[in-house]
Formats: sequence, C-alpha cells, structure tokens
Amino acid sequence: MSEFDIHRRENPRILLLFWVSLAAALFLVLGLVWRQLIAKEAFDQIEKRQIERRILKPGPRGNIYDREGRLLVGNRPHYSAVVYLDDLRPEFRKEYSKVIKHARKEIAETHNLSSNPPKPNYANLQWDARMNVLQRYIDQINAITGRSDKVSRTKLKRHFNEQLLLPLPLALDLAPEQYARLAEKLPPPPRSPIRIHTDTARYYPYGSLAAHALGYVQSTDPDAEEIPDDGIKTFTYKKIVGKTGIERSFNDHLTGKSGMEIWRVDPLGFQDTRLQLVPPKQGDNLITSIDIDLQRAAETALGERIGAAVAIDVQTGEVLTIASHPGYDLNRLSPYIPRNTFDEINQRGAWLDRSVQLSYPPGSTFKLITAIAGLLDGVIDANSREHCTGVHRVGNRIFRCHVRNGHGVVDLSAAIEGSCNVFFYARGLQMGIDTLSEQAKRFGLDQPTGIELPFETRRLVVPTKEWKRSTIGPGWVPGDTANTSIGQGFLLVTPLQMATATASIARGETRTRPTLQALSSDTAQKIDHGGEKIGLRPEEKRILWEGMERVVGRRGTGRLVQIPDLRIAGKTGTADFRAHGEEVNLAWFIGFAPIENPKIAVAVMIQGADASQSYHGGSTAGPVAKDLFLEAIKKYPERMGFPIKSD
Amino acid sequence: MAKFRLDRYKPLLALGLFFAVWWIGKPLVQSFLQISFTEFQAPSWVATSHLDGLAGFWARRSHSKVELIEAGKELERENARYQIMRQRYRTLEDELSRLEAMLEMPGRREFRHEIARVIRREQSAWWGRIIVRKGRNYDIRVGAAVVFAGGVVGRVTEVHAYTSEIDLITSPDFRIAAQFEDDPRPVIYQGLPQDGFAKPHGEVRDVPQDLLASSSQPIKLVTTSLGGTFPAGLSIGTVDWLQPGSSGIFQSGAVQLDPRLLQLREVAILVPLEAGTHSHVF
Repeated sequence: MSEFDIHRRENPRILLLFWVSLAAALFLVLGLVWRQLIAKEAFDQIEKRQIERRILKPGPRGNIYDREGRLLVGNRPHYSAVVYLDDLRPEFRKEYSKVIKHARKEIAETHNLSSNPPKPNYANLQWDARMNVLQRYIDQINAITGRSDKVSRTKLKRHFNEQLLLPLPLALDLAPEQYARLAEKLPPPPRSPIRIHTDTARYYPYGSLAAHALGYVQSTDPDAEEIPDDGIKTFTYKKIVGKTGIERSFNDHLTGKSGMEIWRVDPLGFQDTRLQLVPPKQGDNLITSIDIDLQRAAETALGERIGAAVAIDVQTGEVLTIASHPGYDLNRLSPYIPRNTFDEINQRGAWLDRSVQLSYPPGSTFKLITAIAGLLDGVIDANSREHCTGVHRVGNRIFRCHVRNGHGVVDLSAAIEGSCNVFFYARGLQMGIDTLSEQAKRFGLDQPTGIELPFETRRLVVPTKEWKRSTIGPGWVPGDTANTSIGQGFLLVTPLQMATATASIARGETRTRPTLQALSSDTAQKIDHGGEKIGLRPEEKRILWEGMERVVGRRGTGRLVQIPDLRIAGKTGTADFRAHGEEVNLAWFIGFAPIENPKIAVAVMIQGADASQSYHGGSTAGPVAKDLFLEAIKKYPERMGFPIKSD
Repeated sequence: MAKFRLDRYKPLLALGLFFAVWWIGKPLVQSFLQISFTEFQAPSWVATSHLDGLAGFWARRSHSKVELIEAGKELERENARYQIMRQRYRTLEDELSRLEAMLEMPGRREFRHEIARVIRREQSAWWGRIIVRKGRNYDIRVGAAVVFAGGVVGRVTEVHAYTSEIDLITSPDFRIAAQFEDDPRPVIYQGLPQDGFAKPHGEVRDVPQDLLASSSQPIKLVTTSLGGTFPAGLSIGTVDWLQPGSSGIFQSGAVQLDPRLLQLREVAILVPLEAGTHSHVF
C-alpha cells in the first residue's frame, strides 16, 4: 500500500477532490457524447447554415404557339458581361493597398505640420478600391463594344451585401455584335475574370400581332414560399412573371422550374466548392387557338384605326383572332420596358385591350337580340309589318330612323337588311324592357365571357328598370326602351361578347364559352358552352337568318362584305359613343359564315378618333370582316365550303 | 563616438543586393529570354523548313519525265478550273457590290491574305500552336485570322521578326463567335483539351433550343463576321450532338473539326486592310 492510498482513504479533502474530478470528467464525457451523438443533427444544421449558400435560378418560360404550331412567344438569348467578385479578390487587395498608400500620402501633404493628422476612412477606401478595379474591367468592355457603361457604387454595395454569390453584371443587354466581339477579343476564363453570361428574354417573332392577347412579362423577386425554409442563406435571380394577356393567365403553366446550386463558402462568404447542382427546367409550352394568319389579316385590315376584331370558331368557341388597335411591338418591352416606351404607348392609349377591357354601345348589331326577343315573345312573326316614315314618336319625343324618308313598309327580314330603327322601336316598346333585357342576359351580355384573359371588364350593362333606378336615379321611361331596342342608350358590351353572341346565334344556342387554348378534337366534341337552345321555331329562325343574309346582299347595309360563293349572315351597326369628352362614331359588324354550316363568327368594332370622322358599320367595319372571311376561305377552304361542289 | 565600420554591414548589403537582383533581375531575364528564345530559335526552324522544301524538290526531281508531264497536265487542268472559278467569283463579287451599293449597305471588312508555310507544331492536351514562316517582315499582326482550305485554323497570338505563332482552333484558349449555317443567331465556339489520338474537337455553347443535330444530320458551324476577326461563312466544323446546357434553355455540344488541322503544311493569314487598299474581299 503506498502512501498516497492512505491519503486517499483517510484524507477527506483528497477524497472530495477525487470525486469532484471524477464528476467533472464524467460531465465532460457525457457532454462529448451529447454533442457528438445525440445533438449531432442540430450541429450539422448550424454548420450547414454557416458554410452553405444556395443559388436559385428560375427556369425559362415555356413557349407559346399558334394553333398550327407557329412560335408566337419564345425565348431569345439575352447577353451580358459579368464578373464574380470572388475572382477579383486578389485585385481588390492590391488596389486597396495602393489606394491606402495614396490616401496617406495625400493626408501627409495636406497636414504636414499638424501634430494630429486625420486617419483615412478605411471603409470608404475599400469601396473605392473595388470600384477602381471594376471600372477598369468595364473600360475594357467599353473599348471593345463601344459602349460607355460605368460602375455604380450603390449597385456594387447592394450586390456585395445581398448577392455576393451571383455574378455582378458589368454590361447588360449586349447586342449580338457586342457579344460576338467580346467573345473574340476577351480571353476566356481564367485568363480574364469577365464572363459572357447568356440568359433569356422573351421574344416575339410576330412583333405587334396579337400583342394584347399574348401579353408581356416583368421580372420580379421570387416569392418567399419559393425559397426552401431550411435556414441556408439563399441568393435568387429575378424571375419572370406574366403581367398581362396569356402570359399572365397561364403564368403557372408557362413558368419554368427553378434550378438550384448549393455552394460551400469561405468565412468571408465567397464561393469555395459547389456541392449540388440542379439545372432549371423550362416551363410547359402552350398551344393557343389563335391562327396567326387570320390575326394578321384582321390587324392589317384594322390598320392605324382604333378598334378591335374577334373571330371565333362557332362550334368550339376557340378564339381564332383577337385584335385590338392601337397596339405595340412586344419586342420593345423585352427584357424590360423603357420609360419612354411606356410613356409613348400610354400616350397613344395602346395599353388597353379594346376587345375585352373596354365596353361600348353595340348599336344596331343589338337588333338581332331585339328580333329574337320579339320572335320568342310573339310580338314579331312572319307577318309582322311596320311602316317606317323615318320617325317614330314616343311620348313627346321623336325617335328617328337613319333613313330620313323612311324604309316604307318592312317586315323583320327587310328591317334587318335595312337596319330599320322604326321597326325595332315599335317592337321593342311593344315587348317592353323586361323581355328585352331578359333575352340579352340569356346571351350573357351582362357578364364577362370568362375568356382566359386578365382584366376583362365588368362594366357591362344590360339595362333594366331596377338598374336605372339604383345607378342613375330617375325612373325608366319608354324612350329608354326605344333606345335599348336599337342597341343605344345604356347598353354596354365588349367586341368579344358580340362575337360570342354571334357564334351562339349561329349554333342556335344562347351561350358560347370562348377559349384561347387550342382544343383537341376529343375535347371539342364534348364541349359544353353552358347555355340552352334559343328556342326559335324553324320558320322564325329562317326569317331571322334571311334578314341577316340580306344584310350582306346587294341592297343590304353590309353589302361591302359580299364574297362570291360564300353565304354570309351579318349585321352592321353604327353607334354614338363618348370618348375623351367627344362624341365619336362606332362602326360595328357582326356575322358568321357559311350559312349552310356556320364555322366562323366575327365581330369588328372601329372607333372614330374624333367627331370629324364619320364611320359606318357597313363601310368601315364591314371590309375588315370581309378580309377575315377571305383569309378563312384561304386557310380552311373545306370548312368554309370551298371549292363549291356543283351537282 | 564609435567609428562607422562599413565592413560590419557587408552581409546586410550583400543580402539586400541579392534581393534586388532577385526581384528586378529575374523578370528582366525572364522577359529577355522569352522574347529572344523564339527569335534565336527561329532561324534554325526556318532553315529546317527550307531544307524540307529542298528535300521535297529533289524528291520530285527524281520522278520520271512521263510522271512530270502527267503532273504538268494535271496542273494545267486544275489551273483552268481555278480560272473559271475565279471568273465566276469575280462576277458574283461585282454583283454583290452592286447590290450593296444599291441598298447603301456598309462596306464589308477587307483582308489581305498571306500564304505562310508551317514550320513547327506544338500540340499538347492543353494548347495547340503552330509557328509559320512569316512575321513582322510581312506585316502580320496579332489577332489576325488564319485559315486553310478546310476552314478556320486559328488566330495569330505572337508575331516575331520572321515567324508568327498561331493559336490553333483546338486550343482551350481559342474562343470565337460563330453561327450555324443558315441560322443567323450567334453562338460561342471554344477549343477543348485534346486527347492524344482522338480527332480534333471543340465545343459550342449558347445554342438555341430549336436547333437539332444528330449523327445522321449533322449541322455545320461557320464563322460570323459579327466579331470582326473572321469573315463570315468559313467552316469551323460539324456538330452531330447537342445536349441541354445548365441554363435549361440553351444547348451545348461537341464540334468535330477538320482532321487535316493536324497535318497543316500551309495556311493563309488574313490581315485586315485599311479602307481603300486593293484586296481580296471576304
């Protein structure tokens, strides 16, 4: 037994020390076990948060095609020259020491007699050094490309603090020539830190065609929910979202899947090793119902005038053409909208999609609804006649027909052919506003069509007595009914609504659900527009359609729409409209063809630019519709009943 | 006062002198050696090349008269063919110039060409370089494009008194803007490290997604004049395989280059001309 053992057994202080040491050792061992085995996950997470950084890169958007697979919206390369700040660190350090030396020298010269000279502002000098280095590289780019870009201190600071792992753009939106020159004149990395970065921007091969329907995009920061909530600091590129039109309505469909990189970083936050790479994926493509040839025909015919033109497949409701003028070249809005471009488009009032976002009085095209209401109500039949003298008295007011001396005695067909106001004043007053409104509502003229376009106006008016009382005040008077029955007064509809109503009449139903998606033949077979049969007897339908055909006949108001060998049913309309405080004309034409088996329904509306312009449905809107029908014959001769088969 | 003794500071002075020589002398010597190395070696390379030419000449002298007469006839036929092609080319050139003048298009960049004999090849996995027998004595300039019958050879990187170094198209340091035949969109071609026995190859990137290439239908990569170094339309190689790049929208792929690049004997250097000088227009 040693001497120490005696102490251990007998000396209480030694014993206390022994047990305290044992407890401390045990505590350390347990602590080690706890940290290494039990709390490992938590520490792993902390380590991950400290040393890992994520870069999220949105996937490119899907392409948009017309119904024949022609590219309407795609992605084009968007070139820029960038640097990763990590590559410039040695230069930053070198430049920093130069800048400090220079600053000290300057202070020494300025304060050579002062006992307490001021110290340089080191933080500022560091930014100066970084700016100098970057400006040198920008100058190099400028010399090659002929640009005059400059580094921005604010942008550099923001990039340094928020997007350190992302490339810093030195020159954005390089033209293809500049891109090519840089590729040839700059040595590739690592001999030069400048990299040529290729991203995507939206590209519109048809420029301004279908601009409102296709819509444009905008870059924005990703939503918070798109960033994984695992504590790893994430850097994100801007993502592109649809701002208007199809780009907006089908945004989820078109948006690509973000790619991801995870980097291990050094203590200063610069990238060290890439740990994971998931490439981004392009969004799904979309095939629209638009036929770009028809669209071109409509827009060429509209020319520089203000207006809209819509063409619909009568059976399926697929929108073949949806044009609004004035328009704009979508390529001018990509990759971003320059301020002056925005102002210029704004000044022309071209942002508005006149096919769905503005509502107008339908004028005489509404007489078809009045006629259907009359036929269903029984106030109009095959024997209905009205003597038009050019005026119709309602109470103390005189309501005029557009033919000063009157149409003489007219039946329904003749009244439609000649667009006789007096006939429709009389029958409208006879049936009353309740019946008329009810029928207009049956055709959905008081509701948005539900087309896949954003911002479809809700300012749609099919007036009723209650509506007038609640919105305007004074009670309903017979004059209001007279005005409504010829499509004037309070009525407000969109060109798209009139196109769907025309397609519905052609099919003998009350509703047409328009769509901008190309439908498969299976889907087209099963399509349910959600309406009901109009309920006209065959004889009634015959009178109505006869009148519509006579409109495009030799003496009809829409005679300019005539096309040899094609039977067209149509209706013209001329309405008064107040725009920018001025009374202007609205010229309308609605119609479908071929009468034997209707395939295409069109609605054209052209608005006078000022009071001096005198527009008429038949002579102004009619030729646009004619061009649409002609293009339809060219594109789909068999569907339009061509060539004519002789028996 | 203690007497100043210079000899006590001798070791320090020697050390200082050593560092000074090390810091200043080393780069000077390096630079001198680098510059003079090629110049010193060049005469031997040029002499070797001339000797090769002489050997070829004597080898041809040993051919029989019949063979020489046949070769002469063949040469005449070739000359006649080239005369016709030259005439056709001039007619086309005149027509093109007329149309350009009518459309008021900006003039194309003009080049003078210098045919130069290859006197040395330096091929490794990391670079590909050739040295040609013309230098400052023929006003060759750094950055000038170099071509041969099969298309692009490379670019002049260094010009010496009587020789020039050319970075080959296979070199990873060689990068140019290019385009696919009949597609105006610019892409980037870059050389790649080469395997010893493989065919020369490079890579193309930023290729739009709608372009398709397969071994049965390869697409031809040609130069674009956008970058200003090369005239448009010179062959770079063919691409028979494209894969999606990391951006998710552009493709990248391997470019098969002309195998004759490895046995070049003669190349043409395209030296950009000042406006108004007589030239061959590309």
